[in-house]
Amino acid sequence: MTTTEAVPNVSRQIRWLDFLAAFRAWLFLGILLVTFEIWAHAEYNSTFFLNPFNVKSIAIFTVTPLLLGLGQTFVIISGGIDLSVGFTMGLSAVVTAHVFNWGTQFGSPVLSLVLAVLTGLGIAVVPGVINGMLIADLRVPPFIGTLGMYGVARGVAFLLARGTTVPVQNALIGAIGNGEIAGFPNLVLLTVAILAMMHYILSQTRYGQHIYAIGGNVNAALRAGINVRNDTVVLYILSSLTAGCAGILYTAKFSAGAAQAGEPVLLDSIAAVVIGGASLFGGSGTVIGTVIGALIIAVIQYGLVFVNVEPFWQFVAVGVVIIISVLVDQIQKQVGKDGANG
Amino acid sequence: MKRWISIFAALAALGLVVPSIIDVASAADKKYTVALIPGLTTDAFYITMHKGADAAAKVLGVTLVFQGAADFNPVTQVPVLNAIIGRKPDAILIAPTDKVQLVEPLKKAVDAGIPVLTVDTFIGDGHYQTGSGDADFPLSYIASDNILGGQIAARALAKAIGDKGKVYVSNVKPGISTTDQREQGFKDEMKKHPNISVLETQFNDDDANKAASQFQSVYARNPDLTGVFGANLFSAMGAANGVKQGGMNGKVKVVAFDAPTSIVGEIKSGNVDIAIAQHPAEIGYFGVVAAYAHLTGQSVPTLIGTGFTVIDKSNIDDPNVKRFIYSD
Amino acid sequence: MGQMDSVVGSSPLLEAENLSKRFGGVHALKGVSLTLLPSEVLALAGDNGAGKSTLIKIISGVHHADGGSLRYAGKEMKFDNPHQARDCGIETIYQDLALADNLDVGANVFLGREPVRRIFGLPMVDRRLMREEAEKTLRALDIHIHRLSSPIGSLSGGQRQSVAIGRAIHWKARVLIMDEPTAALGVPEQRKVMELIANLKGSGVGIIFISHNLIDIFQVSDRIMVLRRGSKVGEVRTSETNPDEIVRLMVGG
Repeated sequence: MTTTEAVPNVSRQIRWLDFLAAFRAWLFLGILLVTFEIWAHAEYNSTFFLNPFNVKSIAIFTVTPLLLGLGQTFVIISGGIDLSVGFTMGLSAVVTAHVFNWGTQFGSPVLSLVLAVLTGLGIAVVPGVINGMLIADLRVPPFIGTLGMYGVARGVAFLLARGTTVPVQNALIGAIGNGEIAGFPNLVLLTVAILAMMHYILSQTRYGQHIYAIGGNVNAALRAGINVRNDTVVLYILSSLTAGCAGILYTAKFSAGAAQAGEPVLLDSIAAVVIGGASLFGGSGTVIGTVIGALIIAVIQYGLVFVNVEPFWQFVAVGVVIIISVLVDQIQKQVGKDGANG
Repeated sequence: MKRWISIFAALAALGLVVPSIIDVASAADKKYTVALIPGLTTDAFYITMHKGADAAAKVLGVTLVFQGAADFNPVTQVPVLNAIIGRKPDAILIAPTDKVQLVEPLKKAVDAGIPVLTVDTFIGDGHYQTGSGDADFPLSYIASDNILGGQIAARALAKAIGDKGKVYVSNVKPGISTTDQREQGFKDEMKKHPNISVLETQFNDDDANKAASQFQSVYARNPDLTGVFGANLFSAMGAANGVKQGGMNGKVKVVAFDAPTSIVGEIKSGNVDIAIAQHPAEIGYFGVVAAYAHLTGQSVPTLIGTGFTVIDKSNIDDPNVKRFIYSD
Repeated sequence: MGQMDSVVGSSPLLEAENLSKRFGGVHALKGVSLTLLPSEVLALAGDNGAGKSTLIKIISGVHHADGGSLRYAGKEMKFDNPHQARDCGIETIYQDLALADNLDVGANVFLGREPVRRIFGLPMVDRRLMREEAEKTLRALDIHIHRLSSPIGSLSGGQRQSVAIGRAIHWKARVLIMDEPTAALGVPEQRKVMELIANLKGSGVGIIFISHNLIDIFQVSDRIMVLRRGSKVGEVRTSETNPDEIVRLMVGG
């Protein structure tokens, strides 16, 4: 504070970077949409974003990576990671399909739907509880513990599916999975409801506050009397539950459960969380950020197909966005630290 | 002392008696062991192949060993192969998970005196016993002709869309021999249909969600799209869902390669219009037959192509067609 | 408040008698007794391994004593965990401050005890209340932090120390245990923290203060207790001793 004249400069810089960090995901999304819009106009003389079909398609496409990334957001904020969600999703999809088929014998499609959804969620809780206990009680590093669970869930899912997709012999679930209410796809509406709930938990409840504290300084959380053990178990259950939701919605969408439903989406979902502003070191991240992150990935992948770019550029584009995103985060932290010390 | 004597007797038996048995017994009386190593154990295609192999093994009195890894990956397949070589079966049938990476590991089998035949997928370029290259040592390649399969798919699709419009291939990822060949066959055949234009292939990483989204994006750009060829199960499933979500059933035709049980419902509900079923049981059956033929001193063709069945709404309930649905 | 202070002031806040603790074969603490009065700063001095940490960890409920007793405000106490000690009013500020750098001042002051209000029946963490209350407490301690809503990681070391102390005071700590509060600070900030400790005495809080820094010890403490190899080797009024004597007690001989 002795060099008074330097202070305004530094703080202005920090404020600008704070702003950039808070809104960088929005900024990326905006730039992407504008780019694709101009591109579509220039090359094909058609609109990209103003076409409701495109908007709807992107929204539906976003559902799976978003749901996989949703519980993951919580886990990453706490400083952990959950690699098992891909196959937890597959497990849940397969089990939901089986129970749905089994439940039709009772004659009521609604009853079997309820049974199937509850069992699909119930089975998803199992890897979550085991992950949580491995990590909280046995001190297994999250990366290793959930990698183990990745293998277990995968094996069980494939066994239950007996190596193929499990078709659902019931029109109801397919109708729900592909239906719309007032022009909004059911899948998107359900996802928005789940999002609202998770956003509330993370941003408004004491539990959410404790997740941030655990990610910021787990010793501080412990000394403050936060039940880190239970909170951690709940974290991995939430992660599994959102993956389970993704699995159930997959079965609803395709009228079939598949063991490998979520596996190709795992890395995209983690990328969505990181692009959304979460740090893999823990302590930061938001539900809204993950939504934007997932939308960014979906818009890139959908948009590049739309403007007919060679498919391999998709990988490059997503990679570049992740790198830029993390770079901005690093620069912001570095400058912020220098500002505090100066 | 007694123990030593019995061990000596056993050694003598191994060294002297066993060869004399082989000399005396006719080859047909010998109980052969054939190992079948699939690309992955958890796939209905290979499970059905196993059933066909089993059927042949029973008829021929061959013992069949079925062992593989849970995913389609040389890293996990090679240890299984090595364990099998260690057991010394009389022949190995394998669906190699990589054209190049499986060459050396399979050479070890040949070095150990075990003949190798490949099923479904191949090593090198798939041309065996030519005397050129270092991957021509397998005796035979028993598989569906995937190029032909792609051609059949193209013909069926062209017919369904009245020989005009835009189509594209929804594929897994480049570098997989079978799906690459299906795409190639499809594109080759479509060249004979001048009123059909084939758009850029979309790769979906075996993610049905992505395949669905890609369909919608391609459709948004090309409202005159009339058909999609899904080169494997998830590609087709995704494309079919994209069609359904956009309410384009009937307007855009979907051809699916492969016929797992779920395809029945998809065809009946109209989400998938045509399915090209391979005959994996046939592959398994003729694989074992070819191995047995070789072991009993017969010559074996270096390439055995198995058939396809085109399934659509009109013939799906025909028992002669239904039996080509992969069982699980 | 003032009246209560005078009542409490007449009797010790904390009395430990004959505390001992073993860790396997190591006799970490051998029958140490301690008394702390309200508005008093007791400095604990001693070399590494002298038993200072063990002693304060027993008082703050982290460790159980193998022998001896602990009386707090005249009552026999046995703490099963740090939370019980804290709920009674014994707060410990460790060297690492136990702050979550990614949270703001309010959230840190209320860490683990966040106030909740209900909106349409849904419980929500009351961030405004946390910030206002934190600001009030800090202002009362003459601590001024401008960036109350920024993550605490962007504050200086001294400011962070102030927040940790402010948190203890906010939760009505009557015994404040401070482990090397100035160790990681620059000289101007050390001075600020020393002033803060001097201020705290005025509010009736009893402070146990661990430091390697004899200058600090002599600046703020009323009494100095010296430990060596798990035993108490001396206890003197700060006004009646000098640094040389303390060092002699510390190293023995």
